[in-house]
Parts: sequence; structure tokens; C-alpha cells
Amino acid sequence: MVASLTRRFGDLDIAEEAAGEAFAIAVERWPADGVPPNPGAWLTTTANRKAIDRIRRESKRDDKHQEAQLMYYDEPPQPLGAIDDERLRLIFTCCHPALAMETRVALTLRMIGGLTVPEIARAFLVQETAMGQRITRAKAKIKAARIPYRVPSAEDLPARVSGVLAVLFLVFNEGYLATGPDTNPVRHELTAEAIRLTRLIRALLPTNGEVVGLLALMLLTEARRTARISTTGELVTLGEQDRGAWDAALIVEGHQLVLERLAAGEAPGRYQILAAINAVHTYAADVRDTDWSQIVALYDQLIRLDHSPIVVLNRAIAVAELDGPEVALAAVDRLEGALAGYHAFHATRADLLRRLGRSQDSRAAYDKAIELAGNTAETAHLTRRRDQLT
Amino acid sequence: MKYLVSVIDDKVTPGSTDRLPAISEFNERLIADGYWVFAGGLADTTAATVIDNRGEQPLFTDGPFVESKEYLAGVWIWEAPNLDVALRLATEASKVCDRKIEVRPFQ
Repeated sequence: MVASLTRRFGDLDIAEEAAGEAFAIAVERWPADGVPPNPGAWLTTTANRKAIDRIRRESKRDDKHQEAQLMYYDEPPQPLGAIDDERLRLIFTCCHPALAMETRVALTLRMIGGLTVPEIARAFLVQETAMGQRITRAKAKIKAARIPYRVPSAEDLPARVSGVLAVLFLVFNEGYLATGPDTNPVRHELTAEAIRLTRLIRALLPTNGEVVGLLALMLLTEARRTARISTTGELVTLGEQDRGAWDAALIVEGHQLVLERLAAGEAPGRYQILAAINAVHTYAADVRDTDWSQIVALYDQLIRLDHSPIVVLNRAIAVAELDGPEVALAAVDRLEGALAGYHAFHATRADLLRRLGRSQDSRAAYDKAIELAGNTAETAHLTRRRDQLT
Repeated sequence: MKYLVSVIDDKVTPGSTDRLPAISEFNERLIADGYWVFAGGLADTTAATVIDNRGEQPLFTDGPFVESKEYLAGVWIWEAPNLDVALRLATEASKVCDRKIEVRPFQ
């Protein structure tokens, strides 16, 4: 609804406020008057009226009315539903390269994901007022600099899409491993929204390998969501998960997408390689059937594209299965300088040290990991592991 | 929509000095495509004078209002339909001038 109001009125603030007002009126009236026959249409009509009211009020002061009519569309309509088309316009606006990356993520979550400012602030561990200001400033810039509300032109599209994918991947990850100590460990609404938006981008660009790769990666990760948290709210590692609880339909779809990219015969990008790594895991009916040498080979391929210490750390986790924990620990220890503040570095070390029987060192590493971990399920898992050390 | 397009140079590592022919050619394209409103290169910041007449007496200060390593070397004003168009032109302008470019909308 915010997307369609933005399109009509060309102003994110007006759209958001009008939608909010419409919901407030509904909450007030529906219990007394009864729910209207078509609640969605009722809300849209009411929000439209509220937006027009506000523009009329403001047009007495300035020329906002005229500004609202200046919204322009120079793109032919995409072969998508009208609502999807508008969400795409909105996401390309929120992920515009003239906005800072953290602003793009916040704005996307606010305008498209529908999260509240306090929720976004909590997700990114910043003050609510600071997050509110960041979003307000971004909206003001979109308006003042005239960032267009549209799907970019064909020549700009590839570069703009990779920016959108980065935002969607961050949204997905925040949902999959929520950072706040007070939030649910998994926020299904965020993972679902990220998947839905990635599907939209795919409909727009069906042959873009990285879009397909990211969608496959998300589906194969999402498929394991319910098996990943125990009934007591503890994180369950990949090796200990009940694979029968994985979502078979999502896995089938994810595998199809990975195969589609293999068949394309193009050099894969980052998301396609990550999707392939996940597919190796999901192909194995039992953790003992996992083809670890294939996973290490895929990480080697990924390192050639992205030599970040986090990728090297993940490769080391696979190496532990192939060549043993001692070899892996040597590789992990070399990352100390870069990753000393990252909880997964300490959690990985703790696990390797535990497997090597070095309980005391392992305990210290678990302590450090617990101190740095923000996810409640992960903290519970790490605490249990530490307390099981002899 | 009008945009102020600033060309930013660096005193320590200045851009190359042989850009004039390329800039002239770029300007002609801006004019032909209807984006050009104004363009001008600026003299050195040492040639600037700051005037403050908010008090009782006008005060003249020799030099720019702020001393910095990076400074404004020239400006354009462009008329463009939206920021995407302005950014695309600015991307080209940065290559043409061999300098950083700032794009800022007029109110």
C-alpha cells in the first residue's frame, strides 16, 4: 500500500503517513461499524483520501501539490502485477547508490519490509533516534536530489541490481540470525520478505545468474530454518539437525536453480557459489554423506572472488571435516588479527579446540564467543557446549 | 531540476593539467543534449577574498573561507530530469576532468 501511495503521490512521507492514518481509522471504526466487505480496498481508498487532504493542506504553504503531480514514469510497464511493479520501483529507490549502504538497508526494511523504526534500530544496534534521523534524512535526500522512483534504465540495471541483491542478502541474514538480545533468534518475516523481493527481481531479470544464485541460496538456507532451532530455543548446528525436518519443496526448488546455473556454463559469482555450497549440504541425506572435498573446492573458488577473512574462516570449517581439526585450527588461528571481534571466529576455535581435547583453551574461546554473540539461540547453544566440557 | 556540479581538486595529488580539450568536447555534448546551463573554471583559492558585513564594519579576509587539502576547482550547473541522469553525466565528467565530482541539487 505504501508503494502504491508513493507512486501516486511521489512522496515517501505522505505515503507512509496516509497508510498509517488509514490503519488507525480502521482500528478505531471496524470493531464498532464492522469490517467492510473489501478491507484492502477500503484501506487504500481511505489512505488516498488522507494523502490528498494532506497535500491540499500543505499546498497552501508551498507548491507540494504541483510537486506531487510531477511524478513521471519513463519506463514501459514490466510484465508483472501492478503491485509487484510498484514494489520494484520502491526497492530500486530505497537501494539507490547515492544512499549509504546502511541507509539503503534501513530504508528497505522500513518502506518495503514494513518494520518499525525501533525494530530496525534494534536489529542494527543503534539508538532509535539515530535510526529515525537516518531514515528521515534519506527520505529528504530522495526528494531534494530527485532520486527517481522507477526501475533503472537497461544500461544502469546490472550495476543497480547487484546493489539491491546486497541489501536483500543483508535483510535475509538479519532474519536468519537476528542480532538483538531481545529479538526472536529467527525472524521469519524478514527471511520471507527477502525471498519474496528476490523472486520479484528474478521476474524482472530472469537470466541474471547472481539473482538466481541469491534466490537459490536463500531457499536452501530457509529450508533448514525450522530444524535450526530446538524446541528449547537453542541453535542446532548443521551436523546435528534433523534432516527429515528440512523443507523438501524449498530444497527441490533451490537445487533446480543451482542446476539451471550450472547448465548456463557461465563463470559463477559469489551468490551462485554460496548456493552451490549449500546445495552440497542439502544433497546429503545424512551429515556423514556430505561431500566435504567438493565444499572445500567451492570455497577455493569463492576465495578467488572474495578473499575476506570470513570466507577463509568458513573454508577452514570445511577443512576440519576433510583434513581434521588440527589443520583447520592452524588456518583459523591465522585470522586472529582480522576477526578477533567476531563471535563466529571464537565459536569455531572453541569447537576445534574441544575436538582436539584442549578443554581449557576451548572454554576460554567459548567464553569469548558467548560474550560477543548477539543471537539468543546461538548464546544458548554455545553456553551448553561450554558447560559440557570436562 | 538543476544540479550544482563541483569539480574537486587535491592540492597534494592534483589531477592532470591536460584536460581542457576533453572538457571542451564534453561541454559541447552537454549543450547539444540540453543539460548545459553554466560552466566555469575557478582561479586558485589564494585569489579568493571573504567578506563579512554582519557586524558594524565590513571585514575583508584574504584567502578562501576554509583552508583544506581538497578545494573547489570549477563548477557546472546542469539541468537534468533526475539524479540518475545527473550521476551518469557526473561519472563521465570525473573521467573527463580527471578529478572528483560532487553533485548537489538546487532547492
